[in-house]
Formats: sequence, C-alpha cells, structure tokens
Amino acid sequence: MTVPSQAKGNKILVLATESCAYPGADSVGQAHSTYPTNVYILRVKAPVLFPERFYLDCFRKGIAGIIVMSCGEECPYDGAYHALARRLDRVYQAMKAQGMDIRRLRLTAICTVCNRAFLNEVNQMNELVQKPAAGEPGQENG
Amino acid sequence: MTQAKEKEKQHATKVGVYICHCGGNISDHVDVEAVRRRLEKVPGVAVARTNMFMCSDPGQELIAEDLKNGVVDRVVVASCAPSLHETTFRNAIRRAGANPYIYEHANIREQVSWVHHGAAATEKAATLVEAAAAKAGLLRPLTPIRVTAARHATVIGGGVAGLSAARDLADRGIPVTLVEKSPCLGGQLARLDRIAPTGERAPELVRALADAVLNHPHITVFTDAQVIATDGYIGNFKLTVRQEVASEAFTGTEACYIPFSGMRPAGPSPSEPREFNLETGAIVVATGFRSYEPRQGEYGFGDFASVITLPTLIRKMAEQDTEGSFLEIDGRRIRSVAMIHCVGSRQIPGIHPEDASGRLNEYCSRTCCTATLNAACRIRETHPGTRVYELYRDIRTYGRGQEELYEQAARDGVVFLRFEPDQAPEVVRADPTDGYPLKIRVTDTLTFSENLEVPADLVVLSTGMEPNDVSDLVEMMKLPVGVDRFLLEVHPKLRPVEMPVGGIFVAGTCQAPFDVGETCNAAGAAAVKAASLLAEGHVELDPFVAEVDAERCKGSGACVEACLNPGALALVEMQIGGQTVRRAQVTPALCLGCGACVAVCPENAIDVCGMTLSQYEAMVDAIVADQVAADALR
Amino acid sequence: MDNSRNVDFDAVVIGGGIAGLQSALDLADQGYTVAVVEKDASVGGKMIRLSKVFPTLDCASCITTPKMAAAAHHDRITLFTYCDLQSLRRTGGMVRAEVQQKPRYVDAHKCIGCRQCEYNCPVMVSDREQGGFSPTKAIAIPFSNAIPQIAVLNPQHCMLCGRCEKVCPTQAIDYFQEPRSFTLTAKVALITTGFEMTTLGDKPQYGRGRIPNLIDALQMERLLAPHGPYNRVLRPSDGKVPDRIAYIQCAGSRDKSMGVSYCSRVCCMYAIKQAMLLSGALPLADITIYYMDIRAFGKGYEQFFQNAQAMGINFVKAKVAAVEPGPDGAVRLHYEAQDGDGVSTAEHDMAVLSLGLIPAWNPEGICPLATGPDHFLESPRPKLSPVATVMEGVFTAGAAVGPKDIVDTITEAGNAAMAAGKYLAALRASSARKHLVA
Repeated sequence: MTVPSQAKGNKILVLATESCAYPGADSVGQAHSTYPTNVYILRVKAPVLFPERFYLDCFRKGIAGIIVMSCGEECPYDGAYHALARRLDRVYQAMKAQGMDIRRLRLTAICTVCNRAFLNEVNQMNELVQKPAAGEPGQENG
Repeated sequence: MTQAKEKEKQHATKVGVYICHCGGNISDHVDVEAVRRRLEKVPGVAVARTNMFMCSDPGQELIAEDLKNGVVDRVVVASCAPSLHETTFRNAIRRAGANPYIYEHANIREQVSWVHHGAAATEKAATLVEAAAAKAGLLRPLTPIRVTAARHATVIGGGVAGLSAARDLADRGIPVTLVEKSPCLGGQLARLDRIAPTGERAPELVRALADAVLNHPHITVFTDAQVIATDGYIGNFKLTVRQEVASEAFTGTEACYIPFSGMRPAGPSPSEPREFNLETGAIVVATGFRSYEPRQGEYGFGDFASVITLPTLIRKMAEQDTEGSFLEIDGRRIRSVAMIHCVGSRQIPGIHPEDASGRLNEYCSRTCCTATLNAACRIRETHPGTRVYELYRDIRTYGRGQEELYEQAARDGVVFLRFEPDQAPEVVRADPTDGYPLKIRVTDTLTFSENLEVPADLVVLSTGMEPNDVSDLVEMMKLPVGVDRFLLEVHPKLRPVEMPVGGIFVAGTCQAPFDVGETCNAAGAAAVKAASLLAEGHVELDPFVAEVDAERCKGSGACVEACLNPGALALVEMQIGGQTVRRAQVTPALCLGCGACVAVCPENAIDVCGMTLSQYEAMVDAIVADQVAADALR
Repeated sequence: MDNSRNVDFDAVVIGGGIAGLQSALDLADQGYTVAVVEKDASVGGKMIRLSKVFPTLDCASCITTPKMAAAAHHDRITLFTYCDLQSLRRTGGMVRAEVQQKPRYVDAHKCIGCRQCEYNCPVMVSDREQGGFSPTKAIAIPFSNAIPQIAVLNPQHCMLCGRCEKVCPTQAIDYFQEPRSFTLTAKVALITTGFEMTTLGDKPQYGRGRIPNLIDALQMERLLAPHGPYNRVLRPSDGKVPDRIAYIQCAGSRDKSMGVSYCSRVCCMYAIKQAMLLSGALPLADITIYYMDIRAFGKGYEQFFQNAQAMGINFVKAKVAAVEPGPDGAVRLHYEAQDGDGVSTAEHDMAVLSLGLIPAWNPEGICPLATGPDHFLESPRPKLSPVATVMEGVFTAGAAVGPKDIVDTITEAGNAAMAAGKYLAALRASSARKHLVA
C-alpha cells in the first residue's frame, strides 16, 4: 500500500464537456497514462451553465484549482464558448479583487484524443496547487 | 412538473450504489470492497453492493431486484466510462419498472483504476462515488420528450452509398429525397471499368442502381444540387437545397448513361438556379471520396507526361479497349509499365512531406492494392508483351478473391519489388542509350536490398482515397471529423453509422475507404438505423432540457437573451395567482440543454433537468468533504 | 427468453455471435419479431471471448455485453441457446428451421445461476473457455458474463455423485434430460454462423500442437483478458513470465498446405493488438512479429500499426518454415528472412500461431445454400448485395460469408437486417394487396 500522494486541500476540479473533453479524459485512461489523483472530473454538457458565483464558491469550499475543459471551437452549441470566455473574464476580475491567484482557474479546449494536452493541463495545475503561494484561495474567508 | 429545489432536499431518497469489479479492470487497482463499505455509511445511501461485471445480466438483475423491492429509488453504478454503459443501466432501470432518469454514473475505470494506483486510487474512487450518490439523491424522475418525426429521409450524395441507401429506405416505404452535387449519379464507381476481384462491369452496376433509384415511386432525385442550409432537429430537419442550372444543356426525356461520368437523369433541368426547402426526418450523409491528386514532382508526376495515376490508366484502357501484344497509351507502345503503390496513402511523419495545409494521409486507402493488381493482370492478359512491375510496401489483398488475384499476377509474370517507406523509389529520366524514357531506382527488400533500376515507358501511381471536401456540411450540421479528415462515427462498433447529432447517419467512403461491397454494407447499415428511427412516426428525446420555475421567475428575460438556439426560450404572458405576468417558457424539442440560460438568471429560476446547479454543487461538496472534516480538526 | 412460448417469428437468425445479435437487434428495432438460434450455451460468439479489440482497444466484453443484454431483454427477440440447426427449408413461402436443443442436464426455467452446483462439484475439467489453461467444473456456468446464466453439466466428466443435485436451491438438476426437437417458422432467415480457427494439429511443420509454449491466438486472448486464467501473462508450461514472445503470421492462411489459400483478414491486426497489450503487461518483453505482408487496411488500422512500431515491437518480414521445441521450454523458429541472411533460427520463450479463419458451419445436408471454393457462403451479388444468398428470403452476414473483423461484421449485419426488413415489408405489402383483392 502506498501512502496517498495527495495532501489535503489541493483538489483540482475539472469541468469537462461530454462531447470532447470528457471522452478525452477517458482516452487518457484507455492509454493507461497516469496523472495526479487529486484531479476530479465532472461531466458537463456545456460549462456555460455555471454562473460566476459557482467558481468562487468552489474556491471558497476549498477547491484549489479549476480547469474548464471545453470543446473550444468544436463546441456543439454555437456561441456558448464565447459566452463562457466572457463569463470567465468576469470571474478573473472577481478573483483579482479578492487577491486570488488567477492561474488557479484555467479555460482550455481538449478534444477526444488530446491525451498529451490533457496531461499537460492537469500536471501544470497540479504543480501550481502543490506550492502554497500568496493569495491561496479559501484564505479570504478563513 | 414544477421546479422545487426545497422539495428535492426534503424528499428523502434511497440511493443504491453498485460498484463493478470489471473482472479486475477496476478491482486490481481499487479496493472495491473498501469503497462499498465507505459508501454504505453515507447518509441517504440505502445499499451498496459490488459485482464482477455490473453490465452483465446478473449485475443488472441486482439493481432491478432492489428497485422492485423498494429498497432503493435512486441508482448509482460505479464502473467504466458512461459512454459505454450509461444506456445499459438506464434500460435496466426502465425494465425494472422505474424511471430511467433516477440514474447517475460514476466513472472509476477510465478515470480511476486505469490512471491511478494504490490507496490513492481507492480514495479517489470512493470520493467520486460519493459525489455521484450526492447528485443521485437530488435526481427527479423525468419524462422523455416525444417528438413527431417526418416520415421522410434525405440522402446527400448520389454515389453507390447514396443510391443504395436511398433505394433501401424507399423499399421500406419511406419517401426519400436524394441530393447530388454533380449532374450525374454513380459517383466514383462510374469512373471505373471492371471491378476487382469479381470482374463485374462498373457501368452495369451503376446503371442497375441508378435505374432502380430513378424509377422508384418513393424517391425524388435532384442533381446539380446541394444542401445549403440546415435547421431543426431529429425527426424535424429543415433543409434548404439549391439546384444550379446544368452546366451542359440536357433535355433527354430518358435517363442516359455517360461513360466515366455516370447516369444522367431525364431532363430538362431548371433554366434558372432555384432554392427550395425540405422537411425531413433523417439525413444520410454519403458524400464519398475523391482520388488523391499527386503533388507536382511526386514520383515524377507533372514532370513527365508518362507518369499517370491509376484512375487515368483505367479510363484510358477502357476507352481504347484494344488487344494486341503491347499496351498502347496515347498512341505510345508500352513495353514496360511500373506501378507504384501507396501514393498519397500510408504517409509517415518525417518521411513524407505534408500538403499545403500541413496534413498527411497516414491511413491505408484499402482498395488500391487490389485495384492495381487487377489492372496489372488485365494488362498481362490482353497485352502479354507488356512487362509489369509492381513496387509496393505491403500487398493488402485482404478480401475474398483478392489473394487469388495476387497469386494470378505472380503467375502471369508481374514482377514485384518491395520498398521501405524511407527508401521510396525514384522516377528519373533514363539515359538516351537505355531505349526507355524513364527509369525507376528502387532498393528492393525482396532481393536483399539490392539497388535496382526498372526501365519504364509508363509509370502508374496507385493513388489513394481522400474524403470529398464537405466542410460546409460539417459546419452546418456539426459533424465530427477525424484526424484522417473522414467523418467520424460515434463509435466504430457500438454506433458505427451514427453521427453525434441525432437523426444524422453516415454511409460509405465519406467515413473511411471502402470497396463497393463494403460501401453497400455501410449504406444498408445506415438505412436500417434511419428506417428504425422513422418507423414509429415519432422519436423520443432525452429530457435534459431547460425548465423554468414559474414561481421564482420574475420575467427579467435574461435567459431569453442568453439562449443560444433561437426559439427555444421566450417570454410569454401567463396567469399566475390571478394576475397576467410575463414569464420565460421553454420549447423542449428546440432546447439544446446547454444551460446558457441557467448561469444568467438573477432569480435562480431556470435549470437544466438532470444536471441542475444544485446537483453540481452537491458533487463539489462531496469532493471537498474530507477536507472540510480535516479543517475542522485543525 | 422463454423457449416454449412461441415458434412463429418474422425472422430466424442462425448464430448468436456479434453478427447475429446485431442483425436481430436491427430487425427487432424495425418492429419485427426475431428468433436467435445459438449452438453454444451462451450468445456472444467469438467476440465475448476476446480480451480487447482493435483499433480502439476497448474491452471486448464492454462492447459485446450491452448487445447481448439488449438482445436478451428485447421484447421482440427470443434466444434459443444450446441448439443445433438440423435443417432449414423454404416451404409455402415460409422458412422452417428444425432445431434440436442439446441437454444441459439443468432445467433452464429453474436455474437461477447461483453457481452452487459449480462450487460444490468435485470434478475438475480443463476449461475450454480459458484456453484450456485453468480448470472449471463438470457442471458450471459457461463463463462469467455468459447470457443466459444457466449451468451446463458435462456428461463426459460427470461422475453422477449427486452433489450438485443436493445443493441446488431450485431442484434444477435433471440427469435424465433428453435432447428436445422443435420447429421454428419464420418469413426470413439470416445465416450468421461465424468462423472457427484452423487447428494447431493441421500442420506437421508447426508441431501438430505438441510443442510446449506454442499456443494459438485465441489462447493468448485468454491470457490477456482481464478475467483470464492466471490474471496475468505466464508461459503455460512452467508459469514463467515470458521475456521473448514471437508471433507467427499466416500460420494457417495464405498456405495451400493447410487448404487455406486465402487471407484470413484479421490476423495481422489481432497480432499487433496482442503485441501492444503484451508490451503493456510485460514492458520489458521482446516481441517479434514474423509476417509476410502487414494488412492494416481498415479505419485507423494503419495508424495502429505505426504506433506498434513506435512502441518497439519488432516486425520481421519472413515466413516461418518450421517450429520445434527448444531448451528450457523455449520455442525455436526456422525462418527465411527477406532482408538477407537466408535461413535463420530464433528462440523465443513463447510463440503464438496467428491461425486463420475457416467457416464454423457447413450447409451441406441442412439447407441448399451455395459455398465458394473457400467453403464460406457465397452471395450471388457480392458487390451490390453482399448479404444475399441463392435462397429466396435467406440472408447472411459476418464471417459466415468470408473472414471479417468486428467493425465490418457489425456493418454487414446492419445491411442484412435492412435486406431482410425490405423483404418482409414487400411480403406485407403484397399480402395486404391480396387481402384487398379478396
């Protein structure tokens, strides 16, 4: 039995679109690649569903990093990607206002066979959340 | 069906959790029993069970029994990716007499046991199942949306696949409109002569199919026509078709076969371009392939007139149809012909140059080996004086009767030379003393990698298949395209002829290289799916659409503004509490379920059924729960 | 799945492998009633016995079990398992299938699949479903994901000790069960009888199946399967983890001495797939594929082959002439390499024969269907209607009509269901017309 590699308080939430990024994550599994265990993937139809406060609430609850894995330009819902990008801009503003590190929220596009891109994204975010830095999310309410 | 988040929480649900071993796929890395024990203690979870294969009959039976006995009323299965078995378990729940939408899937194979190991894998699996159980507790039964479906299908493309699919559907009594871009029916098959390995004549096959289609009472054919706009959804598509004026006037009162073009339907064609609308229930995309056009200078193509492609050779041989000791092409006597395989196919990064748009054809085009051997045998048979060399990488005569053709070629004296991709043959001008215009330098691995020179009067390039450019349709209909640029089916074995957009099917060589028989199989497979869809006159759609809580809605209209599918959301006047108010209303069949409306509602009055904000929040709470507990101890 | 309810159907499908199941589902979804007759005790055919499938490397069970379950649960599909087809004739516009159900010595209606009989049976029998590598019992459920989950008693090994009868909670054991014959009538028939592998014993140069650690590809499928006999890849003779593994391609195809001159179409891809799975399971192992031509022709197959080369799997263009036992359980190969050295010899810890495909069923004496020189069924119109046969109202699909991979089989099965559906629709229309006239 190995010791769980994840320290408490560094969980990464991935919002993965059901038509691109979520099967992309499955494809990483089919290739038996490995990535940090603190990555939790939620399947969403389109991340445009989530209001600004959802992201801020997640950070407040203790999520250390959020990666929104959208379909990018392949988005099956015309216009959703741009609405999402605009919304995340507003979330970034709010994060800045609260003194949070905006690198902890990432918007990216992952396709169904983007294994390497997926691994890059989660590994980079993991590196970020592993080192406690100024403006650690959750502190402002703590 | 009113939205009632408070009621959701009040109603105590009984969640059943079922964890799959997947025959070791999961249980080799996740302690399934430990996950079960942990879930058993989660408030709201009525039972937690495990099985070697939850997808097997006994596994499904476990769920059905618990539902029938009233032990559970919400179900979570923790197993492989939902793309594989979500439907399986929803169906099992339906068969047990329960509502299939009380189901949530936890992916602990592709996203846990196949990527993580040791105790951390078990910990993560348990957390994901807890999150799924938290969501399941908030799920409500939903009713699928029933939409009437137009009993009509549209086939795009009039090659073998399109003709065959159209005839199949029409024979099942479904009216079909066939839209073909070119003036003729028959597609690429019309550009062939004798088909390997059976020797059937392509024109006869095209004629037979096109006749059946043109004379079918249930089929309407539009040539010189294209779909230029699409709208609507499964069962209720609205297409705009534009028919051009035929490039050459054709007023024949009977359809006629034009060699190497195909079957021209009876005229007259419209004197002016026209556009019209079609209402259709299902669409079969059968837009076919084009032959690879070699680059300037590729194996001497474009540099030397005597370097031609296989389709060109087939046409020239068919058009002259002469016999005699030597093959003659363009009046030249061909003493020696060299045929080079895999031109524009099986390209390897780093070895083959990319095309102008940076792409490589890494795939095998499947049909060219046999087609090339067929041409070689034909030359040896009718022009025994002409020597034939085949330069190949692998001979792929995989199909019935094809290996025999390979054997026949060898027997007939065709000389085979095998090259490695990084030592591709070179086509160069021969010395005047050689007596031949061209020679091919090749390192032949069949003769211990000897460097040979093959003299040739003619070089034939076995060009592969590329999908026709259908970027307009791809854009309009949101069709997925693979890295090979062919249309990409949902799954090659589970849903091989389906596109992710409901009601759109794919047939033939727009999906992958196929030969004629395989294309007819693909067309039949697409047609049978379309026929099943349209058999009932209505289709059932997933109920994952937006729903307004009219009690909360204040009529701000923010959702209507954010809605991405015009018509799916509108403000309408309604009576609430004796007052006339304006409230948002959803047209379910048009709603995409994207949730763009959810994020903008100031009153939190709109949600997507089956994936509400509060359900996602509950999942996040479950994911951070251990952390919250740890923080409390700090 | 009740066997006695109904014997009149729109369609009867002979063979419950992936081709038969897909045809049955596509017919039933069009509204037709279907009977599926399967010779084995479970549906699922060869596919359910595989480990993973190319080119997606999906687990075979995960793709097959949903179709097996969907067919078993479909309102309009009835499964008749453990049944042999005795004759299939067309009379009076109908197809009559004479069927004999073999005795399981277990009452199918009473058995609940609890496996108590299996757990308590004292007789160990080599398990064919696990490549003969591990034991099962003389009475057992055929395999873990079998459908239906009904135990079968093997009368050749049963000692009649009576223990199973005592422990069975539903009194389902019936030592006196007899074969049961019945007739199914339908308007159309589909022949989806699939393939078998050529046998190891057929070729003296390959040791007639008596060389230790020379196994066939289906046995390797079991070694690689997640619920295989050892749960990992071990050499059968001594349980050693093999370091050097060889694949011998065209072992039984493109080989006139085996009577199989044709290409079996799937062996290149299954060997590459197994090699990739092996290099995942045994990262240090040295894997060599001896081949004549690599025939990676389907969608995504060539890229799959290129990936295998990039993973370090060795491809040697050579025909293996002979195989003999080597020292310490090794397998010695004699081959003629094309790149130079003439006849060479190589030793491997273990070798796999990529055997070819032959038809699983011969229509002779059962029904008047035509077969080709390769003994597979033949379509009179292989281009425009590959699923037609010489008998009216009888269609075919899958490996019954020539070797075929799963992707092509599933597509062809859809086309067979379309062709049969069209025939049924035309029958309905003409009988409606007759009705109007009368």
